[in-house]
Amino acid sequence: MTDYGHNLLFGTFVTPNGPQAVDLAVTADRAGLDLVTFQDHPYQPAFVDTWTLMAYVAARTERIRITGNVLNLPLRPPAVLARAAASLDILSGGRIELGLGSGAFPDGVAAMGGRRLTPGQSIDALSEAIPIIRDLWNTDTRERVNHQGRYYQVVGAKRGPRPAHDIGIWIGAYKPKMLALTGRLGDGWLPSMDYLPKGADSLPEMNARIDEGAESAGRAPADIRRLLNFMRLDGGPAQLAEQFADLALNHGISGFILGGDDHELAEVLAAEVAPATRELVERERSH
Amino acid sequence: MTEGIALDLAAAQADPDGFAALAERAGGTVFLHESDDGGLDPWTTAVWLAGRTQGVRIGLPGTVSAASAQMREKSYESLEILAGPRLAAAIQRRDGIDYDGIPASLADGAVAPGDPRYRGRKSTYMRGGSPGLVLRPRTVAEVADALAFASRHQHLPLGLRSGGHGISGRSTNDGGLVIDVGLMNDVQVLDEPRRLVRVGPGATWKQVAAVLDKYDWAIGSGDYGGVGVGGLATAGGIGFMSREHGLTIDQLRAVELVLADGTAVRASADENQELFWAVRGAGANFGVATAFEFEAAPVHEVGWAQLALVSPDLEQTLVQFGEVARTAPRDTTVFFLTGPPRQGQSVVQLYGMVDSGDPDTVVERLTPFASTGLLAQQQVVITRYADVMGQAADVGPGGHHGQGEPVARSAFLPRLTPEFARDVVELLASGQVFFFQLRHMGGAIADTPSDATAFAHRTPEFSVTAMGSSGAVDEAWDRLAHHFDGLYLSFDTRTDRQTDAFPPATLARLRTLKRELDPGNLFRDNFNIDPEVQK
Repeated sequence: MTDYGHNLLFGTFVTPNGPQAVDLAVTADRAGLDLVTFQDHPYQPAFVDTWTLMAYVAARTERIRITGNVLNLPLRPPAVLARAAASLDILSGGRIELGLGSGAFPDGVAAMGGRRLTPGQSIDALSEAIPIIRDLWNTDTRERVNHQGRYYQVVGAKRGPRPAHDIGIWIGAYKPKMLALTGRLGDGWLPSMDYLPKGADSLPEMNARIDEGAESAGRAPADIRRLLNFMRLDGGPAQLAEQFADLALNHGISGFILGGDDHELAEVLAAEVAPATRELVERERSH
Repeated sequence: MTEGIALDLAAAQADPDGFAALAERAGGTVFLHESDDGGLDPWTTAVWLAGRTQGVRIGLPGTVSAASAQMREKSYESLEILAGPRLAAAIQRRDGIDYDGIPASLADGAVAPGDPRYRGRKSTYMRGGSPGLVLRPRTVAEVADALAFASRHQHLPLGLRSGGHGISGRSTNDGGLVIDVGLMNDVQVLDEPRRLVRVGPGATWKQVAAVLDKYDWAIGSGDYGGVGVGGLATAGGIGFMSREHGLTIDQLRAVELVLADGTAVRASADENQELFWAVRGAGANFGVATAFEFEAAPVHEVGWAQLALVSPDLEQTLVQFGEVARTAPRDTTVFFLTGPPRQGQSVVQLYGMVDSGDPDTVVERLTPFASTGLLAQQQVVITRYADVMGQAADVGPGGHHGQGEPVARSAFLPRLTPEFARDVVELLASGQVFFFQLRHMGGAIADTPSDATAFAHRTPEFSVTAMGSSGAVDEAWDRLAHHFDGLYLSFDTRTDRQTDAFPPATLARLRTLKRELDPGNLFRDNFNIDPEVQK
């Protein structure tokens, strides 16, 4: 039984294929969902650039939070990304979170002019990138940012802008090293249920890795929100609510993000599944 | 100058909605400028402003920060998909191009970054590109205008594009010029008794085959109908009828080109013979072809086969394929394609043509090929050459959307030996090659003497092509070098291998002509014969 006690977030996982993606985001916003998220595969000719899409969606929505799910670090240099994310957070009134991954598909990355890294190198690059991003967001000091890393060099960069709210860095992680990194450096964990090796049965062990990572860095496991994508789900609203409540109360999942690119599903998620799940979880938590 | 106002990004940071309202009221172009390098990210702000306003055009303070030029292009393109053309035209212009000096004859058709047509013209079938300007001449005079413009931009890459299908051919580039002859695509029968056909360089072989089909004629091309005439007919053309009628260039009777100095010339067996010799194998070095005249062959029904074989022993399959191919009659051409083995087995695709409409003959010709492995799937039909070429997808204004750089290696194989077969198995086991093809040569290809055209490799049994995902393929590929003699310049992305593409005598002769016709080396992008190099 693990519950990190976070408030619950509900959202959609949208294919970034152009204007339809904007329409789906507007639906999610109007329906009252908490999150709209976009995968990031710029080497896919049918997809638009996810960052450009996010900035455009931010302009066309009013209250929903927006994140990449997850952004491809090798094609998003941390200094550029930090400034872009903070800027969009300011422009959108604090609605941006930073879903980030170490980057899959090295051929695709190379085709877009990115650096070809091994999986191990990608993880090291991500662990360099996160402190750079946090440094650039921190305007409490005026000291310039210097970072002489193996993968990233930042020389005398000016800090800022300061985000409008504390942007969460949510990491897409599956393997032990990435899970440990998520615990050490992340604010959230953002995997997909469909890619967990044993489905929900993988969660206790994976959560434990994150918890260990957090503790090794002197942090509390509850500092890391656990979210989960679902590419497809069967069942009516009541069944989904029960399944989500179970994941929330027993596995500490506090973000439920649904794929499918379906306007109606987004409305049902907001109007029926989310309130029912919240009710079940609150009832249990108040015991 | 475009009309508009300049707004500081700091104003957007202080009051985003007020900033958007101000931009909307101003109309025209809003030039974002930044007084603080720790302020808002210009690109993010520009996109947000595009989403927050109607019809406002946006200018940026400088080059957009991105991981790469490709990512920057993708960002621009994405904004256009989402919001329509919203960036001030100058933003996406590339350095070193005299955009204001584009010849008037070409100005309407010219496509620069930021033009809605650009997305469909920037990349090719296999290669992502971001040229600074694509010129699209429709006439010989316009080709000459385009070349005059290109000669003023020798500091930039220059690509020549017909169908945009080339593997080695640099029909796109990053920041340079492209002369795209795609609009010069007429196919016209000149002389019916002589089966003489005049074809524009921008036609595809699918289009050519469709026209000739009505006459029961065909001109053998490559193995895919989407390939453009210009690229293939200046390089070689190893296809399904080469063993019977020779290479595509062997069907060529005359060619018209515009040379580097803008002169329009005709080359044939009767005039400019040396140029006619050179164009047939090394055309990209000498000019922009504006028309080709071919003698088509009478071709009626053909047998078209696609066989899938499973081979537990690829070495054996290759040896056997070599024996069958070697002894096949000229009317039969079968190409061999495979990739990395899976669980100890190879899947081999054999595809090819028998120039016969008689089903029994077709089956008789193909049976020995079908038994080189375990036949898993087969499709054999009696059809028209035009239908085989017609399988290629039509490419409309949407254009090609290749990405990155292909990695291809080519070689001519004089003889398919057991040692070669063994080494191919090793090559594929390396995991570096995802595409391995043998094109069946021999027959009529060898009827033309080696020195009769600049395509000199007349006697190999096969043309071999391997594609990998990175230059790491060379370690495995180079181990096969001792089996090979030369390469086919259309299929090798290492465009500096002139001495493999051309035997010494051919190269020397080409260089002499290059010094005469293109001493300034305007045409230099594909297996360049540098006029400056001394023998």
